[in-house]
Amino acid sequence: MDDTSCGELIYLFAFGLAGLGFALGPFAVVYLLAPRQTRQTAHKTRQAIECGMDPIGDAWIRYSAVYYLYALIFVAFAVDVLYLIPVALVYNEPRFGMRDFAELALFVGILSLVIVYAWRKGIFEWKRNPTSPNS
Amino acid sequence: METQPDLAQLVKDCSPILRFGLLDDWLGLARANSLWPLTFGLACCAIEMMAAGASRFDLARFGAEVFRPSPRQADVMIVAGTINKKMAPAVKTLYDQMLEPKWVIAMGNCAISGGPFVFPGQYAVVEGVDKLFPVDVFIPGCPPRPEALIEGILQLEEKLTGKRRWPKVKPE
Repeated sequence: MDDTSCGELIYLFAFGLAGLGFALGPFAVVYLLAPRQTRQTAHKTRQAIECGMDPIGDAWIRYSAVYYLYALIFVAFAVDVLYLIPVALVYNEPRFGMRDFAELALFVGILSLVIVYAWRKGIFEWKRNPTSPNS
Repeated sequence: METQPDLAQLVKDCSPILRFGLLDDWLGLARANSLWPLTFGLACCAIEMMAAGASRFDLARFGAEVFRPSPRQADVMIVAGTINKKMAPAVKTLYDQMLEPKWVIAMGNCAISGGPFVFPGQYAVVEGVDKLFPVDVFIPGCPPRPEALIEGILQLEEKLTGKRRWPKVKPE
Protein backbone atom coordinates (compact mmCIF):
# COMPACT_ATOMS: atom_id res chain seq x y z
CA MET A 1 0.00 0.00 0.00
CA ASP A 2 1.46 3.34 -1.06
CA ASP A 3 1.36 6.55 0.93
CA THR A 4 -1.51 8.19 -0.99
CA SER A 5 -4.06 5.46 -0.39
CA CYS A 6 -2.97 5.19 3.23
CA GLY A 7 -3.60 8.92 3.71
CA GLU A 8 -7.03 8.54 2.10
CA LEU A 9 -7.82 5.72 4.49
CA ILE A 10 -6.90 7.98 7.40
CA TYR A 11 -9.27 10.64 6.01
CA LEU A 12 -11.99 8.04 5.73
CA PHE A 13 -11.38 6.88 9.27
CA ALA A 14 -11.44 10.46 10.58
CA PHE A 15 -14.71 11.17 8.78
CA GLY A 16 -16.23 7.99 10.16
CA LEU A 17 -15.12 8.91 13.66
CA ALA A 18 -16.50 12.45 13.29
CA GLY A 19 -19.82 11.04 12.08
CA LEU A 20 -19.99 8.69 15.04
CA GLY A 21 -19.21 11.56 17.41
CA PHE A 22 -21.86 13.69 15.74
CA ALA A 23 -24.41 10.93 16.28
CA LEU A 24 -23.43 9.85 19.80
CA GLY A 25 -22.15 13.17 21.17
CA PRO A 26 -25.60 14.68 21.79
CA PHE A 27 -26.53 11.64 23.89
CA ALA A 28 -23.49 12.20 26.11
CA VAL A 29 -24.10 15.96 26.34
CA VAL A 30 -27.74 15.42 27.22
CA TYR A 31 -26.83 12.82 29.82
CA LEU A 32 -24.46 15.25 31.52
CA LEU A 33 -26.41 18.50 31.20
CA ALA A 34 -30.08 17.48 31.37
CA PRO A 35 -32.02 17.46 34.63
CA ARG A 36 -31.99 13.94 35.96
CA GLN A 37 -35.64 13.78 36.92
CA THR A 38 -38.69 15.94 37.20
CA ARG A 39 -40.34 16.97 40.46
CA GLN A 40 -43.17 14.65 41.41
CA THR A 41 -46.46 15.00 43.20
CA ALA A 42 -48.33 11.87 42.19
CA HIS A 43 -45.62 9.90 40.29
CA LYS A 44 -47.50 10.00 37.01
CA THR A 45 -44.77 11.31 34.71
CA ARG A 46 -44.89 8.17 32.60
CA GLN A 47 -48.66 8.17 32.15
CA ALA A 48 -49.17 8.24 28.39
CA ILE A 49 -52.34 10.34 28.39
CA GLU A 50 -51.46 14.03 28.60
CA CYS A 51 -54.78 15.52 29.68
CA GLY A 52 -54.42 14.72 33.38
CA MET A 53 -57.21 12.16 33.48
CA ASP A 54 -56.46 8.53 34.23
CA PRO A 55 -56.90 6.44 31.11
CA ILE A 56 -59.64 3.80 31.15
CA GLY A 57 -58.11 0.44 30.28
CA ASP A 58 -55.00 -0.32 28.27
CA ALA A 59 -53.99 0.91 24.81
CA TRP A 60 -52.89 -2.65 23.92
CA ILE A 61 -56.28 -4.10 23.12
CA ARG A 62 -57.51 -6.48 20.43
CA TYR A 63 -58.69 -4.36 17.57
CA SER A 64 -61.38 -5.36 15.10
CA ALA A 65 -60.03 -5.17 11.54
CA VAL A 66 -63.45 -4.91 9.90
CA TYR A 67 -62.06 -4.11 6.45
CA TYR A 68 -60.42 -7.49 5.89
CA LEU A 69 -63.53 -8.68 4.04
CA TYR A 70 -63.19 -5.83 1.55
CA ALA A 71 -59.52 -6.74 1.10
CA LEU A 72 -60.57 -10.35 0.40
CA ILE A 73 -63.15 -9.23 -2.16
CA PHE A 74 -60.54 -7.04 -3.79
CA VAL A 75 -58.28 -10.08 -4.13
CA ALA A 76 -61.11 -12.19 -5.52
CA PHE A 77 -62.32 -9.73 -8.15
CA ALA A 78 -59.43 -7.42 -9.04
CA VAL A 79 -56.15 -9.19 -8.28
CA ASP A 80 -57.62 -12.40 -9.66
CA VAL A 81 -58.33 -10.75 -13.01
CA LEU A 82 -54.93 -9.09 -12.99
CA TYR A 83 -53.22 -12.49 -12.85
CA LEU A 84 -55.50 -13.86 -15.55
CA ILE A 85 -54.42 -11.29 -18.17
CA PRO A 86 -51.26 -13.25 -19.16
CA VAL A 87 -53.41 -16.37 -19.42
CA ALA A 88 -55.80 -14.54 -21.73
CA LEU A 89 -52.88 -13.57 -23.99
CA VAL A 90 -51.85 -17.20 -24.62
CA TYR A 91 -55.26 -18.84 -24.32
CA ASN A 92 -55.86 -19.29 -28.06
CA GLU A 93 -52.38 -20.49 -28.92
CA PRO A 94 -51.82 -24.18 -29.63
CA ARG A 95 -49.19 -24.59 -26.87
CA PHE A 96 -51.92 -23.90 -24.29
CA GLY A 97 -52.55 -27.47 -23.22
CA MET A 98 -54.75 -29.45 -20.89
CA ARG A 99 -52.29 -29.14 -18.00
CA ASP A 100 -52.31 -25.34 -18.27
CA PHE A 101 -56.07 -25.33 -18.23
CA ALA A 102 -56.08 -27.47 -15.08
CA GLU A 103 -53.70 -25.03 -13.40
CA LEU A 104 -55.94 -22.13 -14.40
CA ALA A 105 -59.00 -23.91 -13.03
CA LEU A 106 -57.16 -24.62 -9.77
CA PHE A 107 -56.13 -20.94 -9.41
CA VAL A 108 -59.59 -19.57 -10.12
CA GLY A 109 -61.22 -22.32 -8.03
CA ILE A 110 -59.21 -21.52 -4.93
CA LEU A 111 -59.82 -17.81 -5.33
CA SER A 112 -63.57 -18.34 -5.78
CA LEU A 113 -63.60 -19.85 -2.30
CA VAL A 114 -63.01 -16.27 -1.16
CA ILE A 115 -66.29 -15.24 -2.77
CA VAL A 116 -68.05 -18.15 -1.09
CA TYR A 117 -66.56 -17.13 2.25
CA ALA A 118 -67.62 -13.49 1.83
CA TRP A 119 -71.06 -14.64 0.72
CA ARG A 120 -71.46 -16.66 3.90
CA LYS A 121 -70.34 -13.62 5.91
CA GLY A 122 -73.22 -11.68 4.33
CA ILE A 123 -71.17 -9.02 2.60
CA PHE A 124 -73.28 -9.08 -0.57
CA GLU A 125 -76.51 -8.33 1.26
CA TRP A 126 -77.64 -4.72 1.25
CA LYS A 127 -79.36 -4.08 4.56
CA ARG A 128 -80.62 -0.85 5.95
CA ASN A 129 -79.31 0.11 9.35
CA PRO A 130 -82.30 -0.35 11.68
CA THR A 131 -80.93 2.29 14.09
CA SER A 132 -80.53 4.91 11.36
CA PRO A 133 -83.14 7.70 11.44
CA ASN A 134 -83.47 7.56 7.63
CA SER A 135 -84.60 3.93 7.52
CA MET B 1 -52.95 16.83 53.39
CA GLU B 2 -49.76 14.96 52.59
CA THR B 3 -46.46 16.28 53.89
CA GLN B 4 -44.34 18.42 51.61
CA PRO B 5 -41.00 16.76 50.75
CA ASP B 6 -37.75 18.60 51.49
CA LEU B 7 -37.41 21.27 48.80
CA ALA B 8 -33.60 21.46 48.86
CA GLN B 9 -33.36 17.68 48.40
CA LEU B 10 -35.82 17.85 45.49
CA VAL B 11 -33.81 20.53 43.68
CA LYS B 12 -30.63 18.52 44.27
CA ASP B 13 -32.23 15.37 42.84
CA CYS B 14 -33.36 17.21 39.71
CA SER B 15 -30.16 19.12 38.98
CA PRO B 16 -27.95 17.84 36.13
CA ILE B 17 -24.69 15.95 36.63
CA LEU B 18 -22.59 18.81 35.20
CA ARG B 19 -23.31 22.49 35.65
CA PHE B 20 -21.47 25.46 34.20
CA GLY B 21 -22.18 28.94 35.50
CA LEU B 22 -21.91 30.70 32.16
CA LEU B 23 -23.99 28.02 30.41
CA ASP B 24 -26.63 28.31 33.13
CA ASP B 25 -26.76 32.08 32.55
CA TRP B 26 -27.19 31.59 28.83
CA LEU B 27 -29.82 28.89 29.29
CA GLY B 28 -31.66 31.08 31.79
CA LEU B 29 -31.71 33.92 29.27
CA ALA B 30 -32.98 31.59 26.54
CA ARG B 31 -35.64 30.13 28.79
CA ALA B 32 -36.76 33.54 30.02
CA ASN B 33 -37.22 34.71 26.43
CA SER B 34 -39.38 31.74 25.47
CA LEU B 35 -41.48 30.63 28.42
CA TRP B 36 -44.03 28.23 27.01
CA PRO B 37 -47.14 28.04 29.18
CA LEU B 38 -49.39 25.03 29.41
CA THR B 39 -52.80 25.47 27.74
CA PHE B 40 -54.68 25.02 30.90
CA GLY B 41 -57.48 27.06 32.46
CA LEU B 42 -59.49 26.04 35.47
CA ALA B 43 -61.96 28.90 35.92
CA CYS B 44 -62.66 32.55 35.13
CA CYS B 45 -58.98 33.61 35.48
CA ALA B 46 -58.39 31.60 32.31
CA ILE B 47 -60.50 34.16 30.43
CA GLU B 48 -58.04 36.86 31.47
CA MET B 49 -55.20 34.51 30.51
CA MET B 50 -56.74 34.14 27.03
CA ALA B 51 -57.08 37.90 26.81
CA ALA B 52 -53.42 38.24 27.73
CA GLY B 53 -52.52 35.86 24.91
CA ALA B 54 -54.75 37.59 22.34
CA SER B 55 -53.85 40.57 20.21
CA ARG B 56 -54.85 43.43 22.53
CA PHE B 57 -52.44 42.55 25.32
CA ASP B 58 -50.21 40.37 23.14
CA LEU B 59 -48.20 38.12 25.41
CA ALA B 60 -46.12 37.32 22.30
CA ARG B 61 -44.17 40.53 22.91
CA PHE B 62 -42.57 38.75 25.86
CA GLY B 63 -42.11 35.38 24.19
CA ALA B 64 -44.67 33.57 26.31
CA GLU B 65 -47.47 33.18 23.77
CA VAL B 66 -46.75 29.60 22.71
CA PHE B 67 -49.38 27.84 24.78
CA ARG B 68 -48.55 24.16 24.52
CA PRO B 69 -51.34 21.59 24.64
CA SER B 70 -48.99 18.93 26.01
CA PRO B 71 -47.40 19.23 29.46
CA ARG B 72 -44.28 17.55 28.09
CA GLN B 73 -43.57 20.60 25.94
CA ALA B 74 -44.54 23.27 28.45
CA ASP B 75 -42.21 25.23 30.73
CA VAL B 76 -44.61 27.09 32.97
CA MET B 77 -47.97 26.10 34.34
CA ILE B 78 -50.28 29.06 34.84
CA VAL B 79 -52.80 27.83 37.39
CA ALA B 80 -55.66 30.09 36.33
CA GLY B 81 -58.63 29.47 38.55
CA THR B 82 -60.17 27.51 41.36
CA ILE B 83 -58.72 24.07 42.02
CA ASN B 84 -61.46 21.75 43.10
CA LYS B 85 -60.51 18.72 45.11
CA LYS B 86 -61.93 16.67 42.28
CA MET B 87 -59.65 18.44 39.80
CA ALA B 88 -56.54 18.37 41.98
CA PRO B 89 -55.34 14.86 40.89
CA ALA B 90 -55.49 15.95 37.24
CA VAL B 91 -53.53 19.13 38.00
CA LYS B 92 -50.95 17.09 39.88
CA THR B 93 -50.65 14.66 36.97
CA LEU B 94 -50.06 17.55 34.57
CA TYR B 95 -47.42 18.94 36.91
CA ASP B 96 -45.72 15.55 37.04
CA GLN B 97 -45.71 15.30 33.27
CA MET B 98 -44.03 18.66 32.78
CA LEU B 99 -40.29 18.26 32.37
CA GLU B 100 -37.62 20.09 34.33
CA PRO B 101 -37.00 22.96 34.47
CA LYS B 102 -40.61 23.83 35.20
CA TRP B 103 -42.26 26.74 36.92
CA VAL B 104 -45.69 27.45 38.31
CA ILE B 105 -47.58 30.72 38.34
CA ALA B 106 -50.54 30.88 40.72
CA MET B 107 -52.91 33.31 38.99
CA GLY B 108 -55.73 34.82 41.00
CA ASN B 109 -56.92 34.56 44.55
CA CYS B 110 -58.38 31.05 44.15
CA ALA B 111 -55.04 29.62 43.07
CA ILE B 112 -53.26 31.56 45.82
CA SER B 113 -55.43 30.72 48.79
CA GLY B 114 -58.84 29.47 47.72
CA GLY B 115 -60.16 33.01 47.32
CA PRO B 116 -63.85 33.49 48.02
CA PHE B 117 -64.37 29.77 48.50
CA VAL B 118 -62.74 29.68 51.94
CA PHE B 119 -65.32 29.45 54.71
CA PRO B 120 -65.79 27.19 57.71
CA GLY B 121 -66.85 23.75 56.64
CA GLN B 122 -66.00 24.05 52.95
CA TYR B 123 -65.08 20.67 51.53
CA ALA B 124 -64.67 21.11 47.79
CA VAL B 125 -61.82 23.51 47.05
CA VAL B 126 -58.06 23.18 47.51
CA GLU B 127 -57.08 26.31 49.41
CA GLY B 128 -54.16 27.41 47.30
CA VAL B 129 -52.18 25.55 44.64
CA ASP B 130 -49.08 25.68 46.88
CA LYS B 131 -50.77 22.93 48.87
CA LEU B 132 -50.14 20.69 45.82
CA PHE B 133 -46.73 21.72 44.51
CA PRO B 134 -44.22 24.60 44.82
CA VAL B 135 -45.23 27.91 43.24
CA ASP B 136 -42.82 30.48 41.82
CA VAL B 137 -44.98 33.55 41.22
CA PHE B 138 -48.24 34.58 42.84
CA ILE B 139 -50.46 37.04 40.98
CA PRO B 140 -53.20 38.50 43.20
CA GLY B 141 -56.53 39.62 41.79
CA CYS B 142 -60.03 38.30 41.30
CA PRO B 143 -59.35 37.89 38.47
CA PRO B 144 -56.03 39.64 37.79
CA ARG B 145 -55.99 41.85 34.72
CA PRO B 146 -53.98 40.65 31.72
CA GLU B 147 -51.34 43.26 32.54
CA ALA B 148 -50.96 41.60 35.94
CA LEU B 149 -50.35 38.23 34.27
CA ILE B 150 -47.78 39.82 31.98
CA GLU B 151 -46.12 41.35 35.03
CA GLY B 152 -46.13 37.92 36.67
CA ILE B 153 -44.36 36.42 33.67
CA LEU B 154 -41.84 39.27 33.78
CA GLN B 155 -41.27 38.49 37.46
CA LEU B 156 -40.64 34.87 36.51
CA GLU B 157 -38.16 36.03 33.86
CA GLU B 158 -36.47 38.06 36.57
CA LYS B 159 -36.25 34.94 38.68
CA LEU B 160 -34.61 33.04 35.80
CA THR B 161 -32.09 35.62 34.66
CA GLY B 162 -31.55 37.62 37.83
CA LYS B 163 -32.25 40.92 36.08
CA ARG B 164 -35.26 42.67 34.64
CA ARG B 165 -35.51 42.99 30.90
CA TRP B 166 -38.30 45.56 30.84
CA PRO B 167 -38.84 48.79 32.74
CA LYS B 168 -41.09 48.60 35.74
CA VAL B 169 -44.37 50.48 35.43
CA LYS B 170 -45.16 52.70 38.40
CA PRO B 171 -48.76 52.37 39.57
CA GLU B 172 -50.62 55.64 39.15
